[in-house]
Amino acid sequence: MPSLSFLVTEIANALSQAALLFFLGVGLTLIFGIMRIVNFAHGAFYMLGAFIGYSVASLTGNFWLALAVAPIGVGIAGALFELGILRRLYRRDESAFLMVTFGLALAMTDLIRIGWGPEALQVKTPAAFSGIVMLMGEPFPTYRLFLIGAGVLVALAIWQFLERTRLGLLIRATSQNAEMVYALGIDVNLVRSAVFGIGCGLAGIGGVLAAPLLTASIGMAADMIIDAFVIVIIGGMGSFAGSLLGALLVAFVQVFGEYYLPNLALAFMYLLMLLVLVVRPGGLLGKEA
Amino acid sequence: MNGNSMLTRRRAIALGAMGTALAATWRPRLAVAAEPIKIGAPLALTGPLGSVGQQLKRGCELWVKVQNAKGGLLGRPIKLLVEDTGGNPADAVRKAQEMVERDGCNIFTGITLSSEALAVVPKLDEWNAIFISSDNGDGRLTAASFVPNFFRANVSAPMGARAVALYLRTAPYKKFYAIGMDYAWGRNSVAVFKSEMENAKKDFVGSVFSPIGTKDFSTYITKIRQSGADACYVTMAGDDYNAFLSQAAHYELPKKVQLLSEVVDLTVPKAVGDAAIGLISSMRYCFRTDNPKNKAFVATWKKEYNAEPDNNEGEQWQALQVLAAGAEKAKSTETKALRAALATVQLDDINGHVAIRECDHQIVQDGTVVRLVKAEGFSYPVPQIIATFPGEKTVPACKQMTYSD
Amino acid sequence: MTLLTEAVILGVLAMSLDLMVGYTRLISFGHAAAYGFGAYASGWLLLNTSLPMLAAIPLAALLAGILGIGVAWVCTQASGISFSMLTLAFAQLAYAVAYKWTSVTGGSDGLAGIPRRAGPFGHLFVSRDGFYYLVLIALFLSFLFCRALVSSPFGAVLRGIRENEAKTLALGYNTRGYKIAVVALSYGLGALAGALYAPFAGFANTELLFWLLSGEVLIMVIVGGAGTLIGPILGAAFFLVVQHQLSNYTESWALFFGLIFIAFVIFAPDGIWGFVRARLRRRTTEPDYRRGVARAR
Repeated sequence: MPSLSFLVTEIANALSQAALLFFLGVGLTLIFGIMRIVNFAHGAFYMLGAFIGYSVASLTGNFWLALAVAPIGVGIAGALFELGILRRLYRRDESAFLMVTFGLALAMTDLIRIGWGPEALQVKTPAAFSGIVMLMGEPFPTYRLFLIGAGVLVALAIWQFLERTRLGLLIRATSQNAEMVYALGIDVNLVRSAVFGIGCGLAGIGGVLAAPLLTASIGMAADMIIDAFVIVIIGGMGSFAGSLLGALLVAFVQVFGEYYLPNLALAFMYLLMLLVLVVRPGGLLGKEA
Repeated sequence: MNGNSMLTRRRAIALGAMGTALAATWRPRLAVAAEPIKIGAPLALTGPLGSVGQQLKRGCELWVKVQNAKGGLLGRPIKLLVEDTGGNPADAVRKAQEMVERDGCNIFTGITLSSEALAVVPKLDEWNAIFISSDNGDGRLTAASFVPNFFRANVSAPMGARAVALYLRTAPYKKFYAIGMDYAWGRNSVAVFKSEMENAKKDFVGSVFSPIGTKDFSTYITKIRQSGADACYVTMAGDDYNAFLSQAAHYELPKKVQLLSEVVDLTVPKAVGDAAIGLISSMRYCFRTDNPKNKAFVATWKKEYNAEPDNNEGEQWQALQVLAAGAEKAKSTETKALRAALATVQLDDINGHVAIRECDHQIVQDGTVVRLVKAEGFSYPVPQIIATFPGEKTVPACKQMTYSD
Repeated sequence: MTLLTEAVILGVLAMSLDLMVGYTRLISFGHAAAYGFGAYASGWLLLNTSLPMLAAIPLAALLAGILGIGVAWVCTQASGISFSMLTLAFAQLAYAVAYKWTSVTGGSDGLAGIPRRAGPFGHLFVSRDGFYYLVLIALFLSFLFCRALVSSPFGAVLRGIRENEAKTLALGYNTRGYKIAVVALSYGLGALAGALYAPFAGFANTELLFWLLSGEVLIMVIVGGAGTLIGPILGAAFFLVVQHQLSNYTESWALFFGLIFIAFVIFAPDGIWGFVRARLRRRTTEPDYRRGVARAR
């Protein structure tokens, strides 16, 4: 019989995990919604965020500065990639995007290895959040509480951005019907660059925030990209709320699954995805695919 | 042999005057006898354990440089063949095969992952090649999967677990839990540790295995905490290890539970910083080992790379020293003669006196247990040796992976 | 010779995926499932029964084809990206099973020491060179089979599905049935490649089921030119040989490899084969399906 304190700790664990997954998933789903691109390089952008974060944090000793600079850097890198390469390809089928983002993931990972070296690098937890709090008598890291808060904050910000701002409106409109937006005289290409940049920047935030838990390392992106895919698919490709729901579901299934059935830990996510897709092929909150 | 030593002297002069590269290009014109000795190193330079492969590469390169500056081996220069396998067994086999066929290489070392080694070992007979392991821990390589052309010049995983277990016999901890990466090495090592604890009549309360590539260890940390153990044995490597230690420190787990492990590289404390302080672990090579040969080695290493030699770097150095001792004993690098010589080779080197055991080609070497501590002059927690155990006590019986006492 | 043999085996695999990707526009992210299953099945048969190689290999492919029907039945409920993700889910589940079902699969170690058992007619194929000819024959036969398939009425329906599934359905074809059939065939053929790999390498491990391999095979198909059969074979050879040679020269092979892919997408949009064909037969006016597809978007 699980005690209340155990339940509270595990729920907090799951929420902190969901926050990190959300940063990855939401960027991926925004990009898919607008551009119908499955961005295989998303994990590499996430990793780039962690490494830029490392450099800024170790040069200045300030984690918060790193958290501000890295996503901007990653976002710019993403937007440049869109401008330089993806833009030439919008008339082509998805295999072109698949290959070009796969190629980018390979190249970028290697560039990071060349630039920062093959060894894992430490990103220290910010001093303000390096302690623990007691949750029902069990210790819980304040940094993870901060992650949960950051997740909520960013989710609210994106929601408000999509609902209230002109760019947000354009993004929603473009994801509904790009031709119509184009016909209205809007530069759809600009919207695409912006979305690709923002999506990558969000992955960059995820990278910086994950670094104190994982260290900044070449391997950090490898399986993350698959996790992010799963979240986005479960929630529904292109759906903002879906990515939030997907992240929560995956995190809870992982945390409680690992606890009660550790032998199946490898398979939970995929069983969940299989179940969701068989019942609703378009994902929980997605349009029917 | 007279001709050979003449050549050696001439080349030594050439070396002094013109450097290694020039000498190597001159050599073929001098005599056929000075055909270089080729050492094949199909290393996992990229991929999840790329940092280990890079360490092994540094170890090989420095050794070859130093050895060639001394006139090579058996009067012949040494040529190192390095290729990247990406940590993939299929690639390791393919690259090694190519070194055999294209370069006529018959000596291998540095194959990085145990899965790669297990794939390569069955081919050695067909290739008529020797493989001197420098870092493969899997117990089976000197047990069920043993082949005569395989030599292990490093401490195996069971030996590391054993050293920690011997240390624990006199340590104050009573209840033990274990967490391992879910693959052969992790499971093996935890099994050895468990049987050791049971033999010692200690309370072993349970174990859990996390899939390779686990990013969030919060649930596992909760489990360890709930088990009520006062010490936890951890068998992890690479990113998983770093993530586990960082997160365990966030939960202040080490305040309640002493963390133990089978092996730790310096890359771990460098990556996780203070989160590694207090960890008790066995090491296969520790740069703070106190003997003259090691002091000289560390000095040479620091001069070259401006850092302390790491676990795998020392292991790789030792493996090549074993090769050199074997070749000199056999006066040849021909496979059959070299195999016979290596089977009983012994030497005094960076880990003190070590000897290859004839029955399963496992090196017998002292077991070292360290604790990671903060020390003057280092930016990261460094190992401090807290116990050593003679090789006879840490080596399992021939072709075995567990211990009976 | 080792490299060539592996390239030919991957050629079979890439060609099998082309049936789905190039001819039916079913983009599978999980083709490693077929390859890995084939390797484990033939490896297990060679280790645990006295079947000769020439029986174990086709049997493994047949088993995969039968299982493929079930997988296909589930996956074809969805389309587009959801289809891709379902195939990925099955591949990852297969990976988890191979990892955990230690008594049969050897767990994380995989199966090792898989013999090339000759049997009554197989002596020619046991040696390294002999095995090369065996895989070459397998590639040739598979190619003939696939070519016959795609130029048959069955293949015409597949192309119909690729261009416009709704229309094909309206014409009275049970498109779902066709899709299930092509997925199962593709899995069977992919498993044939895996079944050849096991006795070739002497081992089968979980890497063969990992998602990374699925991605790589997909790249081989696209690099070579999807929907051409020959292209993916060339793509596989290109992928393997370039990776192998690059990594001989530089540790940064992944960087150049990645840049090559990006360059390919930009400068050779129809893959290697499309590029070659455009050079060779400038006068012929073959319909360019891929462009048509792009317009449909």
